Amino acid sequence: MSDPIYTEIIIDEAKNAQNQGTLENPDISQHDANPMCGDSITLQMKITGNSISDIKWHGDGCTICKACTSVLTQIIKGKDIDVAKNLKKEEILSELGLEHLIKQSPVRIKCALLSLKTLKLGLYSYLAKKIENSSSFDSLKEEAAKLY
Amino acid sequence: MQTSSFPLEKIQKDFPILQRTVRDGKPLVYLDNASTTQKPIQVINAISDYYTNHNANIHRAVYALAEEATEAYESTRDKIAKFLNIKNREEIIFVRGTTEAINLVAYAWGRQHIKEGDIIVTTEYEHHSNIVPWQLLTKEKGAKLEYIGVDDNGELILEHLDFYLKTGKVKLVTFSQMSNVLGTISNTEEIIAKCKKAGVKTLIDGAQSVPHMKVDIEKLGCDFFAFSAHKMLGPTGVGVLWARKDVLETMAPFHGGGDMIREVHKYETTWNDLPYKFEAGTPNIADVIGFSTAIDYLSKIGMDTIREHEIELTKYALEKMSQIKGITIYGTKDVLKRGGVISFNFHDVHPHDVATIIDRDGVAIRSGHHCAQVLMERLQVAATNRASFYIYNTKDDVDKLIKSLEKVAELFKL
Repeated sequence: MSDPIYTEIIIDEAKNAQNQGTLENPDISQHDANPMCGDSITLQMKITGNSISDIKWHGDGCTICKACTSVLTQIIKGKDIDVAKNLKKEEILSELGLEHLIKQSPVRIKCALLSLKTLKLGLYSYLAKKIENSSSFDSLKEEAAKLY
Repeated sequence: MQTSSFPLEKIQKDFPILQRTVRDGKPLVYLDNASTTQKPIQVINAISDYYTNHNANIHRAVYALAEEATEAYESTRDKIAKFLNIKNREEIIFVRGTTEAINLVAYAWGRQHIKEGDIIVTTEYEHHSNIVPWQLLTKEKGAKLEYIGVDDNGELILEHLDFYLKTGKVKLVTFSQMSNVLGTISNTEEIIAKCKKAGVKTLIDGAQSVPHMKVDIEKLGCDFFAFSAHKMLGPTGVGVLWARKDVLETMAPFHGGGDMIREVHKYETTWNDLPYKFEAGTPNIADVIGFSTAIDYLSKIGMDTIREHEIELTKYALEKMSQIKGITIYGTKDVLKRGGVISFNFHDVHPHDVATIIDRDGVAIRSGHHCAQVLMERLQVAATNRASFYIYNTKDDVDKLIKSLEKVAELFKL
């Protein structure tokens, strides 16, 4: 039986989600939740120089949320901050064959993109603090809001 | 087979939406009635008839249309009085829904009567609409919000109420007559009796009870009662706050504006009589008139008959669902203590995944925290699935739900 969302790839990714746990003394720790469904995650990152040297996440979410969070953490772990800053939703969704959610499921796309929104909020707060320029934080918040 | 006396087939024909299909030709199995119910053609026609033939603003103009509209709007108040056994029609205030009704009480009564150190008591199984307004009020006033706990059977722990009443500081106890998640029917009479003895006011959230069982407000003897039209075949955007006249008379207005005034001068205003003092601005006339037809529809079937139908359906669903491997059903199994609301989890599959998969078969259930995050914390779950029934649901609907759950098990290899 084939299902447009619940493929083996997604169910397996969610069951064996990568990078779960907590970091000691993270440089970034960002929590966010979807108000309607109860998906709720915390992303934590260690920043070394310009790169994301470690990333972990914990929380409670549906299969889509967990699978996408797992993929996101695998994409950006060890990468430059700029890579994470410019990460596009399509890059995560295509890994799981979920691009169709953008057009077809305005509700479930929020589950898929919670981790990306959380990542951008966390990164921008961190960067804004570093450069003491709160206007860049606002523009990042706007960018995060546009994800949906 | 359903109870032979229940006119199920006739009822189903009255709901145009039940004739449609969803998701590539699947018949709609609508099981989200605790959220909102579908509307019979009679209600849809009443709203359309108002706009087609009678549309005018009420309470002001003297021409024919205005008189017809005012008469239709005001007669709904009388109908509600009869439906819920309310003695004084002027105690019935039209609002947008239960949420607005509770906010009205928190604002117009609470701000007058709640002081620093006072306690307001609510319960762990309240909807956010019966928690957040009280958080806002108690924070503003330096008062305290306390909770009656919920036991493992999904019932209120009344010892907690006794404990708070003993402090002598409680000014209001506010609770739902039926939980929107667990379906538990509260021991409403007992709670009100305890509060009356302690001289404490009571507010009943009747959003889930009024649509599904006979409610007699005179007999209950509470101080405030709130409910919504859209959960009982009526349109969205209409609800009722009932409050005892002597209590309403101690309250300041909620919204200022037209219709709620007697005379307005540059720097002062005198208020209109009850209930108009609390109905500022042009109300939702069309939908109040639609609500009137919904009450007619329910009255014709009879609330006791509706309750019997739902007891039978709930009993059937609980029996069948309990047999499914990996299912957790929350709340009491005693159908006489609960309404037709069944919250459950299936293995460790997130409710959003369950609801998405069974939606492919046209089965509509709710998944999430049901605006009851305090209860979710108590149950130690992030979310639940919820199937909830109404007059048009059948045992066949329950069977379809169960069959779809089998597909979830298949996909997740459970």
